[in-house]
Amino acid sequence: MIPTFQIILAFIGSLGFSILFNIKGRKIWYAALGGMVAWMIYLLGGLWLSSEMTQYFVSAIIVTFYSELCARIEKTPATTFLTAAIIPLVPGRALYYTMSYAINNRIVEFADYGSYTVSIAVAIAAGIMVASSLFRIFFALRSYEYRHH
Amino acid sequence: MLTKELLSYIMDIGEQMLVSGAEVNRVEDSISRICKAYDAKRVDVFTITSSIVVSLQSKNGNTLTQTRRILKYATDLDKLDRLNNLSHYICAHKPEAEYISNEIEKIGSRHKYGPNVQYLVYGVIAGTFTVFYGGDLNDAVVSAAIGMILKSVITFIQRLDKNVFIVNILCSFIVGLLGVLLVRTGIGHSFDKIAIGNIMLLIPGLALTNSIRDIISGDTIAGLLRLCEAILVALSISFGFGLVSVFVGGMFK
Repeated sequence: MIPTFQIILAFIGSLGFSILFNIKGRKIWYAALGGMVAWMIYLLGGLWLSSEMTQYFVSAIIVTFYSELCARIEKTPATTFLTAAIIPLVPGRALYYTMSYAINNRIVEFADYGSYTVSIAVAIAAGIMVASSLFRIFFALRSYEYRHH
Repeated sequence: MLTKELLSYIMDIGEQMLVSGAEVNRVEDSISRICKAYDAKRVDVFTITSSIVVSLQSKNGNTLTQTRRILKYATDLDKLDRLNNLSHYICAHKPEAEYISNEIEKIGSRHKYGPNVQYLVYGVIAGTFTVFYGGDLNDAVVSAAIGMILKSVITFIQRLDKNVFIVNILCSFIVGLLGVLLVRTGIGHSFDKIAIGNIMLLIPGLALTNSIRDIISGDTIAGLLRLCEAILVALSISFGFGLVSVFVGGMFK
């Protein structure tokens, strides 16, 4: 499929979820844009990163940074943006194939796809973890400096 | 001055935050900040996904303890945002208990997206992700229709039984069944794409993200609980689809 089209779909998907999660006002657009950014970074990552897991990892890092920045601008918890923006990365397809192989008793494929699904989830989790830890440290440092000068 | 009544309102704020989708760390932090703002000498807050316990010691030596049991979650990020602002306001201005209770009521009764919008959004999301993962136009239409039916099914089942696993098993069962029927009649083309589009609606994305965030902030117990819940939801979605294959016999090609 044409990547541009897919990026637009990621935008619509995240937009839908931000309405489902009852985000209000212009925050919806921040969240939807986040979903678009997530998939864009994922696709761009495919151009020079060798493994798919790194693509998910890098994408999750960027999206978390984006959400934390938006949260600072809009003065709201970062969860507001991160939740909807991370949606295009969620391994729905992989989860589906894992389970369909399990049902069809194709053990080898099941094990393959199962570990693939788990690795995606871990890669995304690790990305969020790294980015929000860095953000925490950064802001702790800033408020530390603020207090001591 | 910290009274029983005031603490109960503070617990309300914490409870509502947790229910609407806040991380455990944020809930604990908000409650203890508010209590400190009202001159508590010592505050101990313990929150996991299903319970909040607050014990505080006021300046004159009284100890107050209250707990809340959380049974149901309903993601509402706008509510979370407002509660977050309210708790900042309380810390800065220390208003009367009455003011807090009014504000909580106001937040509880504010405008939400109506059912029509919700149905539409369910359809749009299901259709969008079907195409996103490679389905064609027919698949998108079928998927959107199933997505809207899914919304009504969720509303209906939740009235009968609030158990998350039962709701998810039944929902994915109905999605699978409708998908198979519509593909066999020739309206939809690929069952897998249709199913994936609808799975995106059921998948516990928020629980997963929040569980990781809880674990990073040091709330390991809460994070692991949420993670287990997310995994169980994923499993129950698979059970639902498994059930379909029992009924129709080998739908997955």
